[in-house]
Amino acid sequence: MPTLSTWQIFESCVTTVTGGGSIIFSITNRIVSFPFEIQIPHRSLDLFSSTDSVNMSKVQNDPLLQVETTCGSLLYELQIIWDEVGESETERDKMLLELERECLEVYRRKVDQANRCRAQLRQAIADAEADLAAICSAMGERPVHIRQSDQSLGSLKEELRAILPQLEEMQKRKCDRRNQFVEVLEQIQKISNEIHMCSEYTLSRTIVDETDLSLRKLDELHRELQALQKEKSDRLKHVLDLLNTLNSLCLVLGNDFKETVIEVHPSLGNDYEGTKNMSNETIEQLTTAIQRLREIKIKRMQRLQDLATSMLELWNLMDTPIEEQQMFQNVTCNIAASEHEIMEANMLSVDFINQVEAEVSRLDELKASKMKELVLKKRTELEEICRKTHLIPESDSVVEVAIEAIESGAVDPACVLEQIELQIAKVKEEAFSRKEILEKVEKWLAACDEECWLEEYNRDENRYNAGRGAHLTLKRAEKARALVGKLPGMVEALASKTTAWENERGIEFSYDGIRLLSMLEEYTILRLEKEEERKRQRDQKKLQGQLMAEQEARFGSKPSPMKLQNGKKGPRLSTGGASTRRLSVGGTMLQTPKADPHSIKSTPNTRQAKKSDRLHSIEQLKHPRDDACPALSAGGRDSDIAGLPLRNHSLNAVNAREVESPMKRKPFLPISSTESSKSHTITNVMDDLNRKQNEILQKTLKSNNSQFSTPSKILSAGEEENWTPKAMPIHMPPTPLTVSVPMQTVMTPAHPPIPYNRVEETPEEIEYSFEEKRAGFVLPRTTHLKTLIQV
Amino acid sequence: MAALPLVAGRELSSPPSDGISNLRFSNHSDHLLVSSWDKSVRLYDASANVLRGEFMHGGPVLDCCFHDDSSGFSAGADNTVRRLVFNLGKEDILGRHDAPVRCIEYSYATGQVITGSWDKTLKCWDPRGASGQERTLVGTYAQPERVYSLSLYGNRLVVATAGRNVNVYDLRNMSQPEQRRESSLKYQTRCVRCYPNGTGYALSSVEGRVAMEFFDLSDSGQSKKYAFKCHRKSEAGRDIVYPVNAIAFHPIYGTFATGGCDGYVNVWDGNNKKRLYQYSKYPTSIAALSFSRDGRLLAVASSYTFEEGDKPHEPDAIFVRSVNEVEVKPKPKAYPTPAS
Repeated sequence: MPTLSTWQIFESCVTTVTGGGSIIFSITNRIVSFPFEIQIPHRSLDLFSSTDSVNMSKVQNDPLLQVETTCGSLLYELQIIWDEVGESETERDKMLLELERECLEVYRRKVDQANRCRAQLRQAIADAEADLAAICSAMGERPVHIRQSDQSLGSLKEELRAILPQLEEMQKRKCDRRNQFVEVLEQIQKISNEIHMCSEYTLSRTIVDETDLSLRKLDELHRELQALQKEKSDRLKHVLDLLNTLNSLCLVLGNDFKETVIEVHPSLGNDYEGTKNMSNETIEQLTTAIQRLREIKIKRMQRLQDLATSMLELWNLMDTPIEEQQMFQNVTCNIAASEHEIMEANMLSVDFINQVEAEVSRLDELKASKMKELVLKKRTELEEICRKTHLIPESDSVVEVAIEAIESGAVDPACVLEQIELQIAKVKEEAFSRKEILEKVEKWLAACDEECWLEEYNRDENRYNAGRGAHLTLKRAEKARALVGKLPGMVEALASKTTAWENERGIEFSYDGIRLLSMLEEYTILRLEKEEERKRQRDQKKLQGQLMAEQEARFGSKPSPMKLQNGKKGPRLSTGGASTRRLSVGGTMLQTPKADPHSIKSTPNTRQAKKSDRLHSIEQLKHPRDDACPALSAGGRDSDIAGLPLRNHSLNAVNAREVESPMKRKPFLPISSTESSKSHTITNVMDDLNRKQNEILQKTLKSNNSQFSTPSKILSAGEEENWTPKAMPIHMPPTPLTVSVPMQTVMTPAHPPIPYNRVEETPEEIEYSFEEKRAGFVLPRTTHLKTLIQV
Repeated sequence: MAALPLVAGRELSSPPSDGISNLRFSNHSDHLLVSSWDKSVRLYDASANVLRGEFMHGGPVLDCCFHDDSSGFSAGADNTVRRLVFNLGKEDILGRHDAPVRCIEYSYATGQVITGSWDKTLKCWDPRGASGQERTLVGTYAQPERVYSLSLYGNRLVVATAGRNVNVYDLRNMSQPEQRRESSLKYQTRCVRCYPNGTGYALSSVEGRVAMEFFDLSDSGQSKKYAFKCHRKSEAGRDIVYPVNAIAFHPIYGTFATGGCDGYVNVWDGNNKKRLYQYSKYPTSIAALSFSRDGRLLAVASSYTFEEGDKPHEPDAIFVRSVNEVEVKPKPKAYPTPAS
């Protein structure tokens, strides 16, 4: 029974399928979708109804059933076909087996497929969960979703659907976090770039470590960033500090700050805009630059201070005026300053130092020239001392050589100066030792002069003629004679003193280079010779006298030689004056200035001297009149010539007069004839004048002495004599205004010639000033009387 | 007359309308204080030729002086001593004398005002005291005669009075004169002025004469004194003698100018006994003279001084002339005494 067996197979197949449960369902589902033409014969229904009638009735619309139906109908159809074809049973079994196998194959494939799908799903969930966990751990957060294996949420697909949004969320957060990290890291990199200036060092750090994006890490990075920022600002400050120091150094040294800074790093040049390089290298360079400049500064400062010191010395030495010093006051005030104290701009610049140097060298030169001057001055001083002490400066040439040496710079002038000073001291010492003898020598020489004069005077035959100043010459001659008498003793004493001196010192006493002893000797010899000569002359004269007497007796008298010598008298007198080594102010010697006629008064004459004498007596009377005090025209000089010990009453009148005589003839100068004659005439006029004045004076004196208590009478007495000034050149013409004119201090009796205000002469009348008269002021009688009584 | 101002110096505009009694330069500026018979005291800026201020008094003003640059004092014929404050135009009365006050001086040494009056007294005033005689008056000192002229040097005060008396006081002891003198000149004293070196004084009289006196009473001191004639005119064999109204010493050179009724101003060198300069004649008498503080300016009051009584005269004028050094510098002696 094949049919049965087929059915059995079929049934067993179905049974197996049924045992699969849900899979059967899916297969049947698929079978349903097959485009089968379902033609279910009643017979087959019958066939199946016997085996599974309940099933059939229960699931009428089930596609599986339909498939089964379709399968059954197909099987049935195949039976029919087979029946028709007459297929053998074996063939039929074979076909049915094949069919059964193919069916199984299809089932298996489908199951495998489903299995694979499930595995994939599981994989996806696991992956998602793993991702989620990784993200959470990276972010340092507790995982949001912890799956409990036992508490499954339904199917796998549901599970997947639940986990995916979580994952997406976490991924988004992670991305954000990562951005934050990148940002911070970038900043860090930037700053450290700025600080360290090496790009490769931080390249690695830009890659964010994906495994650790936790907040802790972020915080760490933030801290790092802050630290870096702080370091940056610190460095910036440091750099700025250094730049400041550098700037002040440059300022003081006169360097260009920008240039110096750009040399170190170009970025430092731009002031305060843009970033400045602040790497270690830059800082180091800056520090070395500062160090270098500081060294230069110290060096220059020392140089400047050296200069200032020498400048101060030079100033001190030469008394440089303050104004000149002022210009370099800022230099010298820093003389003791330490390095950091010198802050003034350009104080140590090359230019300034050069300038100071130039000043110092200028001062040096000045000093050198002054030194030379000093040396020369000292030399002249030395010469002067030598001249005064009649020494011959021994080493003149040495000084000369020294000066040349100074000029060539071979010798220090100070050294030479010292030498000269030493010499001066030596000479002074010597001069002191010579002093005593020298004084004696002077005396001796003066005596010799006097002797010479006396000789000449003795030769003058007219010497006893009375003339002006004759008594003076006489007196002088007398003195000279006494002196000459003492001369031999003097010479002897001098000689002994000199020998003593020479013995004591072991050197010769020289006078103007000549040995004094030889001078004295010479003099003694000369003197002896002269004496002999004189004796001879005396003899000859005696002889001549005898001869003349004889001749006179024979031929009568001849004109006296005296008369012939008259003309010589004037000049000789003046020579006599000159020999006293004083300027003679004899009358003939005064030249009357043409320009100023008022000076005629200056011509002195003896009468004036007399007058002054008389005035002197007036003064002694202590007469209260103002006439007594005016200056006397008689000069002190005249009295001097006269050799009278007259007190000088003329106050400064003498001086005044002297100013007026602009030229004094030196002795032995010829007087031009016109000039002298003029002066003579004027002198005569003056004489007259003076005589006249004198008379007036005497008259006034008389009246004074007798009646000076009544001044009104003097008025009348002096009336006519008051016009004397007319002849006298006392009233200055108003035209030569600039010429100063002597005051009219000449004594004239003071009479009010014609006073504008006629002073009331009655003594009872009270005098009033113009103002009182004008104001109509009248002294109250009573008070006047009262005061009178009081007085 | 037209050419005169050029030679005479610049004439100040708006001069007093009557006789000028005195004028003085300030010690601090070129301000010029002028007192006048027209009862006014005027303050001029001499260098700018501007009248700075004017005070009218009750009577003729006989003298005035500066206190400092901003105030001064005046002495009036109305017996009154006044203090004047220039910038305020204020005046107050320091006190009164019994007769017209002839002269006034301010002493920088004692800070006192000294006045001399025809009431034969000298009075010292303290100008700082409040108004009222009892508070300002320091002392009254009787004089032998009416006071005609005063001059101060440091603590020394020289008082010249009528009757040719000269009293020399030490301001520190006013109880009695340090020296009582009689003028060396025979006629009425017009003006007395101390030397700028304080060793003596110059005194002028109505009879064309100036005496140079010394304080030193020793023989050697007194031997230096002398007198000389000036401001005279020889006319037809007769000397016409004019009063010497004013003396002003040059503050620097110590030379001095005298002004007389002859209208001339002469500059003298007292040490060398020389006349240094004579300025051309002014229109009328020289009433007062004053050198500015530096001696560069000389103010000359050309104003009739009533010497011949009331008569027609030239208008009163003030000339300010700039002083050339040649005119006032002592001429050094050309030939010093040869050393013997």
